[in-house]
Amino acid sequence: MRAVIPVSNGDTLGAVRDFLRALITEEVVDAVLVPMETTDGAVAPALVADPELLEAANPLAPVLGLNAAPVVGHVSLRTPRARIGVVLRSCEMRALVELVKLRQADLADLVTIGVDCLGTYDVPVYNALRDSKGGGALDSDALLASAETGDLAPQEGYAFRDGCQMCEKPHAEGTDITLELFGADLRVGIPVSLPDDVAVRLGLVAAALDSGEEHGRRVKVVERLVRARTQVRDARFAEILARLADRRLGRIFASCVRCHNCMTVCPICCCRTCLFRTPTFEHEPMQYVSWAERKGACRLPADTLLFHLTRLNHMALSCVGCGVCTSSCPVQLPVGSVFRAIGHRLQGTFDYVPGRDTEEPLPMVTFRENEWSEIGEE
Amino acid sequence: MSLSRVGVYVCHCGTNIAANVDVARLAEFARSLPGAVLARDYPYMCSDRGQALIREDVSEQALDRVVVAACSPRMHEPTFRDAVRQAGLNPYMVEMANIREQCAWVHDDRARATEKATRLVASAVARAVLLEPLEERQVDVEPGVVVIGGGIAGLAATLTVAEAGYSAYLVERSGSLGGRVRELDRTYPTLDKVQVVLRELVSRVAAHPNVTILLRSSVTSVDGCVGDFTVEVKTRGANLGEGVDASRDSQTLVVGSVIVATGFDPFDPRRKPELGYGQYPSVITTLELEQRLAAGDLGDNGAAPRRVAFLQCVGSRDVQVGNPYCSRVCCMVVAKQARQLRGLMPDAEITVYYSDVRTFGKGAEEFYDETRAQGVLYRRASVSEIVRSQNRVRLVGEDTLLSRAIGVEVDLVVLATGMEAGADSASLSAMLRLQRSPDGFFLEAHPKLRPVDTATAGVYLAGCCQGPKGIADTIAHAKAAASSALIPLLRGSVQADAATAIVNPALCANCGLCVEECPYGAPALDPFRGVATVNALLCQGCGACAVVCPAKAISLQHATACQVLAQVDALMA
Ligand SMILES: Cc1cc2nc3c(=O)[nH]c(=O)nc-3n(C[C@H](O)[C@H](O)[C@H](O)COP(=O)(O)OP(=O)(O)OC[C@H]3O[C@@H](n4cnc5c(N)ncnc54)[C@H](O)[C@@H]3O)c2cc1C
Ligand code: SF4
Ligand code: SF4
Ligand code: SF4
Ligand code: SF4
Ligand code: SF4
Repeated sequence: MRAVIPVSNGDTLGAVRDFLRALITEEVVDAVLVPMETTDGAVAPALVADPELLEAANPLAPVLGLNAAPVVGHVSLRTPRARIGVVLRSCEMRALVELVKLRQADLADLVTIGVDCLGTYDVPVYNALRDSKGGGALDSDALLASAETGDLAPQEGYAFRDGCQMCEKPHAEGTDITLELFGADLRVGIPVSLPDDVAVRLGLVAAALDSGEEHGRRVKVVERLVRARTQVRDARFAEILARLADRRLGRIFASCVRCHNCMTVCPICCCRTCLFRTPTFEHEPMQYVSWAERKGACRLPADTLLFHLTRLNHMALSCVGCGVCTSSCPVQLPVGSVFRAIGHRLQGTFDYVPGRDTEEPLPMVTFRENEWSEIGEE
Repeated sequence: MSLSRVGVYVCHCGTNIAANVDVARLAEFARSLPGAVLARDYPYMCSDRGQALIREDVSEQALDRVVVAACSPRMHEPTFRDAVRQAGLNPYMVEMANIREQCAWVHDDRARATEKATRLVASAVARAVLLEPLEERQVDVEPGVVVIGGGIAGLAATLTVAEAGYSAYLVERSGSLGGRVRELDRTYPTLDKVQVVLRELVSRVAAHPNVTILLRSSVTSVDGCVGDFTVEVKTRGANLGEGVDASRDSQTLVVGSVIVATGFDPFDPRRKPELGYGQYPSVITTLELEQRLAAGDLGDNGAAPRRVAFLQCVGSRDVQVGNPYCSRVCCMVVAKQARQLRGLMPDAEITVYYSDVRTFGKGAEEFYDETRAQGVLYRRASVSEIVRSQNRVRLVGEDTLLSRAIGVEVDLVVLATGMEAGADSASLSAMLRLQRSPDGFFLEAHPKLRPVDTATAGVYLAGCCQGPKGIADTIAHAKAAASSALIPLLRGSVQADAATAIVNPALCANCGLCVEECPYGAPALDPFRGVATVNALLCQGCGACAVVCPAKAISLQHATACQVLAQVDALMA
């Protein structure tokens, strides 16, 4: 059903908080996993059981330090477990779908709550922005107002995260409850689509939206946004692929400090211990010497390129383009663009769209007899 | 690293290797490799003396690892594993460098081949240093055999197993035994009444106390491995077999070996519509003529045909229909049938249109000569079309010896249709993990040395399911399959390869990729511990799981990530 969450006095965030609170008080869920604001304005996800504390919830804060999909796994994977509402941005939901396929999360007792994403800043940028406004929580009225037209723009002098700039799927999809911000005047009300029984419990009635032009507005705004972002994305891909052709992967990652941040934050890299943190890659001293002798010189730490190639091999098919890898890189390498560009081509080869559907099998474990018949034997 | 003591043995293989690789230099190079304590070259490492050399060095020089640079490990790895086992070393402490098939045989520049051989040996030594001893497992063998398919092949195999004193379960899809042979009249080259032979075989099989016959039955799943297969059989309707509870429609058989004897399908000549089969009643197949001959009724309503044409190679040696191979029996079947018709219709004109006549086999060429001597005409031709011509049909084509057009009107055309792989070969191959050759028939493990074995240990091939054969060859093949299938049963236990996959539970994320990837169903997720586990009895050591597991939590013993990386690294040195 589609309904409208009423907004009073133009307080959109307040309405979202009330809505989340009601999910707990009306016993739709036992707890809510949602980004929370600390008193000095930092934002991080938390599992909230006390509805009173949702006063500090802020899923609209334009900042993303962490893709929350893996932590959804923490609260859903094993039984006994509670019924939990998880508030996710679209890239987080896509990652969650991939994690379900990798058995790192279970949707059975979850109520997924998607929010159209208006763009996010990297944590340091967000903090700088807050400081420039005198600290505390950031007032995001301007950003919320832009949802109606879809002309999303960062604060002047600041930039959205690299991943967000090229994100062609900012709209929430495939969630149980969807807060449909695009195309709506959020000072008046927040269109929401949700299961009928939940709507009844929350006392929401079907809005005359389905036939109405409001829904049509969201569709149009999303279409326009997708088109614009796809252009940015493709330009970025072209740039990266040209660099790859010209300077190769090794050069792009030449200044990688092999901190493994990109792997640690990547929602898809769900190994308990990454292969590259095991003794497999601890070599004997003479090994390094023999490499140095063979090639004249041996880059240290060794295996940096192998790390990136292997990670591409392990997860690029499932890369959902959240860009938290780029955000986390201390030396500002375009990790996410590289992984997305290569991942996109790979995904195309297998007609695979990560994050689309939990029933879509992972290409890695799907055997098609005629696959790639142009290489090798018939 | 240098704590290991590797002995390297370079084999000349007579001149097979020595002609293209400087074996003395190779041995000298091997001596310099880290971990190597000695290196020798020797004319034949696989000979008794060669093996003794290894055994002596292992004890006298206290070797703990052995590298043999010789042929493919598929050839002699078992030999050298045995040799070191006898010397008290764990058999998995052997590594082979293939400098024959992958080097000496495929290069002719001696200097560069020698250079490549050094890399291969360096790589083998690098890996050998990291080898770990593995514990070999013994699996008790279930004393029975399932035979799938009750044609002449299945019958012969079943009887051989039963006579050896083991239980044989014969699973036949149809309601009767005998397969295609049931439809035949007489056999070449003796012109014996084949039903007499078949009846005798069937009654011996049916009467044997060790045999259980399951008619109208098919195998629905096969699990396990050599020595311990679990075979599910489903039976349709009432079961006429003896010794079987007719009320049950499915049962589980636990056996040590499986013999596949599912035969062939005759080529359907409708796939060559230009020959008019199915369109003109006077165009029939050799199988149909066989049935008419057996029934003693040529189906001609008394009006004996005055002119008969046989067409050879229909659906065989024909790339257009996808069957480039020879079906092996058709030439003799035609010679046989033409001879029989000759006897029945002394006045008729009988012509065989052939492209080549292949009459190998005992008494076959003589039989063919006699057929011609009796007045059967052979004409080398290619027939392109059969068309109606009033109440007869007309063959249109070319005489390929005289390069002259042919247009003959005949009363009866017999198409010598070839053999094709059975229609359900694909599903059987998936169930039994059998490979198929490009022609669709099941693939034997080696075309010469292992003609009845398959890539799956404990599964054997009998008869035409492996490729076209006459009855005599089919029976020989079936008896060979039965003998091979009996080997594990006679031994009572089989040694299972210890190089199976294992899971490091501390690394396993329980993602289940390995479970989905394994073709043998060996890994499973343990719901309590939340990690993958491997059933070592099912694991065939193929390594697919280790490839797909990102963290390498599951790895193949004897091909660990460290071993493989060291090997690759040494190759690139
Ligand atoms: C027209 C013609 C004439 C011939 N004349 C001669 C001749 O004169 N002399 C000669 O030596 N050879 C002759 N042959 C060849 C002879 O027919 C074969 O050599 C013989 O039939 C091969 O026996 P088989 O058991 O391998 O296969 P088949 O005879 O095909 O028997 C296979 C059996 O397996 C069963 N089966 C198949 N799939 C399954 C399954 N999935 N589960 C259970 N059961 C299954 C089938 O029902 C069948 O009973 C002739 C062949 C043809 C076509
Ligand atoms: S590789 Fe980067 S962009 Fe892709 S899913 Fe991982 S963190 Fe997100
Ligand atoms: S790079 Fe590979 S091994 Fe490392 S965490 Fe990612 S998926 Fe696992
Ligand atoms: S985050 Fe950046 S520096 Fe760290 S390993 Fe990844 S690419 Fe290298
Ligand atoms: S693929 Fe690896 S991590 Fe995944 S379940 Fe199997 S062993 Fe565990
Ligand atoms: S090696 Fe792995 S994939 Fe292969 S059979 Fe064993 S468990 Fe299965």
